[in-house]
Amino acid sequence: MSFPILSLLILTPLIGALTLSLSNSAQLKNKTIFASGLWIATGEFILSLLLPIFYDKAENGYQFTEFHTWFDKFDINYYLGVDGVSIPLILLTTFLVPICLLCSWNSIQNRVKEFVIYFLLLESFIIGVFVSIDLVIFYVFFEAVLIPMFLIIGIWGGENRLYATFKFFLYTLAGSVLMLLAIIYIISITNTGNIEIISKFIFDENIQLILFLCFFASFAVKVPMFPFHTWLPDAHVQAPTSGSVILAGVLLKLGAYGFMRLSIPFFEFASYYFQPLIFSLSCIAIVYTSIVALRQTDMKKMIAYSSVAHMGFVTIGIFTLTQDGMNGAYFQMISHGIVSAALFLIVGVVYERHHTRMISDYSGVTNIMPKYSFFFMVFMLSSVGLPGTSGFVGEFLVIMSTISVNVYLTIFTAVGVILGASYMLLLYKNVNFGDVKSDIKKLTDLTTIEIFYFTCLAFLTILLGIYPKLLFDMIDASISIGIL
Amino acid sequence: MIDFYSFAPEIFLLTLILISITLGVLNKDATITINTTGFSLLIIFLIFKGHSLYQNSLFSLNTINLILLSKIILSIGSIVFILLSRRSLKNENLFRYEYILFILFAILGSFVLISSDNFLTAFIGLELQSLSLYLMAAFNTKNLNSNEAGIKYFSLGALSSGFLLFGISMIYFDTASFTFQNLANFSTISEVGLALVLIALFFKVSAAPFHIWTPDVYEGSPTISALFFASLPKFASLIFLFRIYHELNISKIDSLNYIFQLVCAISLLVGVYGAITQKVIKRLLAFSSINHIGFILLAIMSYQYMSEGTIFFYLIIYLVTIFGVFSVILNLRTSEGEITLLTGLNGLKASSRSKAISMLVFLFSLAGIPPFAGFFAKFFILSASINEGLYLLSVIAVISSVIAAFYYLSVIKNMFFNESENELLLDNSKLSSFIFIFSALVLTLFFFYPDPLINLVDSLFY
Repeated sequence: MSFPILSLLILTPLIGALTLSLSNSAQLKNKTIFASGLWIATGEFILSLLLPIFYDKAENGYQFTEFHTWFDKFDINYYLGVDGVSIPLILLTTFLVPICLLCSWNSIQNRVKEFVIYFLLLESFIIGVFVSIDLVIFYVFFEAVLIPMFLIIGIWGGENRLYATFKFFLYTLAGSVLMLLAIIYIISITNTGNIEIISKFIFDENIQLILFLCFFASFAVKVPMFPFHTWLPDAHVQAPTSGSVILAGVLLKLGAYGFMRLSIPFFEFASYYFQPLIFSLSCIAIVYTSIVALRQTDMKKMIAYSSVAHMGFVTIGIFTLTQDGMNGAYFQMISHGIVSAALFLIVGVVYERHHTRMISDYSGVTNIMPKYSFFFMVFMLSSVGLPGTSGFVGEFLVIMSTISVNVYLTIFTAVGVILGASYMLLLYKNVNFGDVKSDIKKLTDLTTIEIFYFTCLAFLTILLGIYPKLLFDMIDASISIGIL
Repeated sequence: MIDFYSFAPEIFLLTLILISITLGVLNKDATITINTTGFSLLIIFLIFKGHSLYQNSLFSLNTINLILLSKIILSIGSIVFILLSRRSLKNENLFRYEYILFILFAILGSFVLISSDNFLTAFIGLELQSLSLYLMAAFNTKNLNSNEAGIKYFSLGALSSGFLLFGISMIYFDTASFTFQNLANFSTISEVGLALVLIALFFKVSAAPFHIWTPDVYEGSPTISALFFASLPKFASLIFLFRIYHELNISKIDSLNYIFQLVCAISLLVGVYGAITQKVIKRLLAFSSINHIGFILLAIMSYQYMSEGTIFFYLIIYLVTIFGVFSVILNLRTSEGEITLLTGLNGLKASSRSKAISMLVFLFSLAGIPPFAGFFAKFFILSASINEGLYLLSVIAVISSVIAAFYYLSVIKNMFFNESENELLLDNSKLSSFIFIFSALVLTLFFFYPDPLINLVDSLFY
C-alpha cells in the first residue's frame, strides 16, 4: 500500500472545511478566514502537483490506486485511481479554487466563513468525481457537487438568484437520476461497480441504446448540450464571480469527462449509433448559441453562451471517436476551463468597480484601465482561437478530425469559429474602445492581486498554446485506450 | 395450553401500563422514569433472550428476527419519544400523564400487531394502536383544530377498521381460518377479502389514495403527536404489511399485486404533487411521508432480491431523519407559540447554526441527495426493484424524488437565503439538541463508515 495521495486530495479540503466550521466565527476576522481557506487551497494545489510528477506516462491504466471495501454485500468499493485523462482536470480544479477565493477577497463581505467552507467542500467533491473508478462513488460525488453550488449561487448570487439556483439544481438532478437507474441496472448485470471491468463488458445492443440515453441525459445537461443548456446562462448571470469561474471552469467539464470515461468505453455500439444525434445537437449548439451570443447586452450572458458553443466543439471532438478528435476535445476542455474562467474574472473586475454588466454602460475602458484591457485582449484572443494561444490547438484538432468523419460537420464548426471571433471582438471593441464615458473615469486599474492571478492564467494559456505537447504527453496513452 | 412465555414482552408492557396508571395519579414525572427504565429492561431482554420467546412458534427464523428487531426498534423509539414528549407537552401546557399511557397502549398494540400470526390478533393490535392515536390527535382539548383532527382521524379510521373486519370475515367465510399459515389457495372471495384488508392497512400507513386524513390530522394535532403518527405506529403497520405480503405470497396473486403496484405509484406521485404547494410545515411533512411510503411499498414488492434488510435499512434511516426533523421543529418557537408556517423557518441559519445545518442534512437526506444516508436507502431500494424487474415503478420513483427535491430545496431556501421576520425563541433543551445532532451525524457519517448499520441489519436476515 503506497501513499494514499488521492484520499488525501479529497480529505484535505474536507477537513479544512470541518475545522473552519468548528472554529468560533465571532473572533475571526473575515480576512483571517479567507487567508486560512486560501492556505488550505494552495496546499491542496501543491499536493496535486505531485500527481503529474510521479505519474508514469509509459504505463497504461490507473495509477495511485486505492482500494477499500465499502459496501461488502453489493461489491461496491471505495476504489480510487487516476490516469492521464483525470490528472489535468484535477490540476485545473486545484488551480482555479485558490483563484476563486482570491477574487472574492473584496467582493464577498457577508457570511465569509460559510463561503470558504462551501468552496472547500465543492473542491473536495469535484476531485472525488475525477478520481473515482467505481460507478457508485462516482455518482455520489457527481451529485454531491450540487449541494455547495446550490448554496453558493443562492446566498451570494444576484437579484434573480433563487430562480437560477433552483433551475440549476433541478435540471441537473433530473438528468442524474436517470443515470442512477442506468448505473443500478449495470451493476445488477455485471455484479460490479468497477469501471475498468465494466468497460470490458459488452452489453446487448438494444440495452446499450437505452443505457446510453440515460447517461446522455445526465451528461448532456451538465455539458450542457443544445436543448438542455438553458440553465447555464441563468446560473452564470446570477452566480457571484467566483461561482461562475468554478462553474465554467470545472463543473461543465464533469459532463464531458463523463462521456469520455463512462459513455464511450461502456457503450461502443451505442456511441456509433448516436453519433449523428450528438453531431447535430452540437452543430446547432455551436451556430445557434454563437448567434444568440452576438445579440446579448449582458457581458456575463454573452460569455455563458460562448461557453455552450465551445463545449459544442468538445462534444463533437469526443464523438468523432478518433484519437485526434478526442485529443482536441480534451485540449479544448482544459483550454476552455482556463479561458472562460479568466473571462468571467475579467467581467467580475469591472462589475465590482462599476456594478453593472451591461455592455452599453462601458466604453473606452482601455484609456482608463490599460492593464485590464491588455489581459482582456489575451483571453479574448485565446477564446477566439488565435494561433499561439491554447484556444487554437483544441479547435484546430477538432475541426481537422471532423473531415475524416463528415465534411458538413467541418463546415458548421468552421462557421462557429468565425461567429465566435465576431462576438468576442464585438464585445472587446464595445467595452474597451470608443469615447470614454464620464462615469468610467472613476474606475481604477487592476490591483496587485488581480494582476497576479491574471498573469498566472495568461501564462498557462500561452504556454499551452506554444507547447501543447505538455498536455498531449499526459493524455495520449490514456485516451488511446478509451478509443475502441 | 397457552404458551404465556411467548407473550412476555406484551405482558411486561401491560404491567408497565398498570403501574403507570396507579403511579401517574400521584406523580407525573415518576411515570416517565418508570417507563424509560422499563423499556430499557425490555430492550436488554429482547436482545439477549429474544430468541427463546418464539422457539415453540411456527414462525421461520427470518420472521422471528424481523419481529425481534422491530420490537427493539420500537422500544428504543419509545424511550426517545417519551423523553421528547415531556418537554414538548410542558411547553404547550399539556403535560398530563394520560399522554404517556396512550403512548404505551399504542406501542402495546404495535407489539401485538407485529407478532400476530392470525388476522384476529392483528385486528386487536391495530385497533388498540389506532384508538390511542385518535386520542393523541385530540389531546389539545382547548384547541378546535386538535379536536377536529381527532374526530377526522377517528371517523375515517373507524371506516377503515370496518373494511378490515369485513375483509377478515370474507376470508374466514372462504377458508374457515384466521391463521396466515392456513391460507394457501385463494378463491375470488378470499382475494376480495384480502384486498379489503390491504386497503385498511394502506389507510393506516397513509398510502395514497387512502391518505386524505394525513395532512389535516398532522396539522391539527399537537406537533409531538404528529411525530408519533409519522414514526412508530406507522413503522409497526409497515412491518405487518410486509409480513402479510411475504407470508401470504401476495406477489403470486396478480390482482392484489396490481393493487399494490398502483397504490405504490399513486403514493409516490400524490406525495410529491401534494407537497409542492404546501405552506405549513406539518402538511409538507405529511405529504413527504406519503412519498416515502411509496418507496417502502416498492421495497416490500421487491424484497426477494435483498431480503428484509433493504426495508429495515430504509425504515431505520427514515425514523432517524423524522425524529431529527421534528426535534428541530419542536425547538423553534416564536412569542405566539410554536411555528407552523414554512416562513417561520426564515433566517434560521443566522439564529441557530447547528439547527439549520442539521435541517439541511435531514432535508437533503430525505430528498435522496448523496452523500447522506437517505441516498443509500433509496439506492438499495432501487437496486432491489430494478433486479425485480419493476422498471416503470423505479422510473416513477426517481422522477418523484426529483420533484420532491424542489420542495425540500424551498425549505432550505427559507432557512439559508431569507432573512428572518420574527424573532425566534430557541428552546434549547439538551435532549432534543442531542437527538438532532446525533441524527445528523448518523446520516452524514454513514457515508464514511457504513458497515455497522449494514451489518446489523444484514446479519439478521439471509
